[in-house]
Amino acid sequence: MMSATTRVNPRMVSNRFDYLLLWMTLALLGLGLVMVYSASIAIAEANAAIGHQSTYYLVRQAIFIGVSLVAAYMAFQVPMEWWQKMAPYLFIFAIALLILVLIPGVGRNINGSQRWLSLFVINLQPSELMKLFAAMYVADYAVRKSAQMDSIVKGFLPMVGVMVIVGFLLLREPDFGALAVVATIAISILWLAGINGWIFVGLIAVLPVAIYFLIISSPYRLQRVIGFMDPWADPFGKGYQLSHALIAFGRGEWFGVGLGGSVEKLLYLPEAHTDFLFAVIAEELGFVGVVIVLCMFAWLVIRAFGIGKEAAQNEQYFSALLAQGLGVWVGAQAIINIGVNMGMLPTKGLTLPLLSFGGSGILANCVAIAVLLRIDYENRMIQKGLPL
Amino acid sequence: MKFKPQQKVASLPAWRRRLLLLCVLLGFVALVVQSLYLQSANRDFLQKKGGDRYIRTLELQADRGKIKDRNGEILAGSSPVASVWMNPSVVKVNEKNKQSLSALLKIKTAELDKKIGNKQKEFIYIKRRVSPDLAEKVKALKIKGVYFEREYKRFYPAGDVASHIVGFTGADGNGQEGLELVRNDELAGKAGQRRVIKDRSGQIVEELEIVREPSDGHELVLSIDRRIQYLVYRELSRAVEQYKAKAASALVLDAKTGEVLAMVNLPTYNPNNPTNIRGKTRNRTLTDVFEPGSTMKPVTAAAALAFGGYESTTKIDTAPGYMTVGGATIHDTHSNDVLTVSEVVKKSSNVGSAKIALSLDKQKLWNVFNQLGFGQKTNIGFPGEVRGKVRDYKTWRPIEQATMSYGHGISVTLLQLARAYTVFANDGELKPVSLVKLDSVPKGKPVFSASVANSVKEMLEMVVQEGGTGTNAQVAGYRIGGKTGTAHKLGDRGYEKDKYVGSFVGLAPISKPRLIMAVMVDEPTTGQYYGGTVAAPVFSRVMSEVLRLLAVPQDAPNANIVVPTLDGDGQEVV
Repeated sequence: MMSATTRVNPRMVSNRFDYLLLWMTLALLGLGLVMVYSASIAIAEANAAIGHQSTYYLVRQAIFIGVSLVAAYMAFQVPMEWWQKMAPYLFIFAIALLILVLIPGVGRNINGSQRWLSLFVINLQPSELMKLFAAMYVADYAVRKSAQMDSIVKGFLPMVGVMVIVGFLLLREPDFGALAVVATIAISILWLAGINGWIFVGLIAVLPVAIYFLIISSPYRLQRVIGFMDPWADPFGKGYQLSHALIAFGRGEWFGVGLGGSVEKLLYLPEAHTDFLFAVIAEELGFVGVVIVLCMFAWLVIRAFGIGKEAAQNEQYFSALLAQGLGVWVGAQAIINIGVNMGMLPTKGLTLPLLSFGGSGILANCVAIAVLLRIDYENRMIQKGLPL
Repeated sequence: MKFKPQQKVASLPAWRRRLLLLCVLLGFVALVVQSLYLQSANRDFLQKKGGDRYIRTLELQADRGKIKDRNGEILAGSSPVASVWMNPSVVKVNEKNKQSLSALLKIKTAELDKKIGNKQKEFIYIKRRVSPDLAEKVKALKIKGVYFEREYKRFYPAGDVASHIVGFTGADGNGQEGLELVRNDELAGKAGQRRVIKDRSGQIVEELEIVREPSDGHELVLSIDRRIQYLVYRELSRAVEQYKAKAASALVLDAKTGEVLAMVNLPTYNPNNPTNIRGKTRNRTLTDVFEPGSTMKPVTAAAALAFGGYESTTKIDTAPGYMTVGGATIHDTHSNDVLTVSEVVKKSSNVGSAKIALSLDKQKLWNVFNQLGFGQKTNIGFPGEVRGKVRDYKTWRPIEQATMSYGHGISVTLLQLARAYTVFANDGELKPVSLVKLDSVPKGKPVFSASVANSVKEMLEMVVQEGGTGTNAQVAGYRIGGKTGTAHKLGDRGYEKDKYVGSFVGLAPISKPRLIMAVMVDEPTTGQYYGGTVAAPVFSRVMSEVLRLLAVPQDAPNANIVVPTLDGDGQEVV
């Protein structure tokens, strides 16, 4: 790395920016757009409320991506110093939105979950913003409290307190998936920041018990778990959605039934264009398509960790923790979503990052990638000794 | 802005980063492994489960065979129509469209609502078999969840005229009556099967394979001649109307082959719209029996010539016009003195017939009835055929032996009666009857010698000549022969006084018989009921046209017709 900064590069401009990360992101967004269209045609045509327009979801997803790219461009202009300074306030802002969404009449309830704020044209999902701002907040927290990281009382418990509040709000919606992601991000960043290792021993012991109580405390979650363990026990009831997702995988075989050829998307598989988009990918593009998408996500995580490592080497510790936290976010959410699609995890309302239909999710993911690109950009500037 | 170090922390431990990254990557590896399992090892199971949900085996309709007459005219065919159905769980219809749908298909909106409300079902017919035009109009409404299925509707160009022969098909396309019923298997063919993928709303999205090609039904060519059928229908209808009869039947047979050229019953019905058909669907020519009356006398005469030692000139004293047998009295309508056997037939003397019969051997007489097919099915291949009744000769009392000779105490179908007359047209051979067109002349079964048959044939000609009972049957330009019959109907308590069946069975032309026609008119109510009055004119009118139609050479071009006396000179007696 040091040699790169000293060598004179004729293509300076290209060296200032991680084009590969950008293209990888755009490739995922593009694939998502195509697959959302493919998966949603039948659903859109069957829906009288939207006038049976087959391109309804395609047009919206394209607009979401356009708006998100603009937002990402703006986010890229923001120095990491500012993000770090603003992290606590952004986090408080996200908590305020989470409270707002729970107020009857303000938040919109869709399918029994109160997750959306109506902003005239689109519905904003505060939990998506919470994932981004929580990553920033925890990274900043870890940097501020780096001296107390080894202390359970001073380093860990305050964050536990904050997470209990966030968790409480998310479970009131309810949005168990978002809580799982936020908690994973938080724990990962604390872990990277060197938190007392015994906490993890304790957590690993306590977590299964906690999850168990969470599940039995709410019957619908228990049903989801039962459906996930054996979808064929009740394939037309609790196991309906999962059994159709699994059939989609089986139909896909090695090379898929071809783009547009999915049968499962023909109103059999619910949420084919959102939470179960990956099943449609598996059916239409086959095992090859599945592996390619998984590799792209894995590459994204590896790259985020690489950017974080460089930031650490540059002594940019907030950026380092945040980059890896964002990598964990994208990776964990992808793994959970795809795991759900394959019947490895209980069904929960999580979208596939960068691919699934949904404005808030795409926006939050794009801003996250922009922040990653910014960290990388600052890394390169520092290494070259250039001003930001 | 100048670079400045962020807040200093203890350097982040590299092993923690590597371990975390490893965990995430292991997650991806686990997904690859699971995907590999689902998409290769487990795929057959999953695809079978999927197939159970959206692969459906559908029928490929076989074309139902046409029914044609002997000249290739269509009596029953199939035309494409559309059936309108819907998927209640998908259907979306606004009030305006519902009204239009209701008006177009003539269904009450309440009934539509009920069908739409049946959300458990995914397939409900709204209306089956509507015309393609109407289906286009419904399509133009563009109602979501309303679909169309191509079907065939059976149509019957001959309508009421041939309904009893052809019958009709039901809603499922299978035969319900007539030949459509009895020949259903060969007409229907065998439906094929195809496998398709359906989406959840029930629409076919992909054709997978044709499991079995449909094999179309066979065409059925009948012995019927549609033109003759129509003529018979027209003339029989006229007789029913003129004599206000309850019912009537008529048959035309090809005298040489036994093929049925026409078979008409009244009342009839329209097979294109078989509603309100109770009591009208019976093909009475073979499902209903009646006591034939004097049309049996030629049979008695033939038996007498064959084994009773009689000649056609043998004299029988019928005076004083009545006789008593075992306490019962037999009457003639007009008393005669001494008659020859021929004259007994010509004047239809019951006394003469009875005297002849009483002189014959019981078993031999029964044998003649039996050989002529009375009391047995003709096996023409039609549903609901009955055998009629001829009692065992061992139980005959003299009065029964006597009355049977002139057609009482014996019950027959009109088809049996017409078939029996084939012996007089074929030198004593009985021909089997057929509703299907034959390629060759079937072998007959000898019953009488040629000379006996020809003697009776001469008697039959005498019947329609002056002084006979059947003069109304005459046909200009042709010599014909036949026998009238009039019988009291048998009620619950013996013979009914004022209910009659008038009948006529005849051959034309008599010199070289081509056609046999049997007519029976059931319960004429205008006071005229003699077979010579109500039935013989039908024979005359039909035959005069049919003989010309078939270009049968005239055998009496110069003979003038005897002016029929329509007030009934029938002389047969009950």
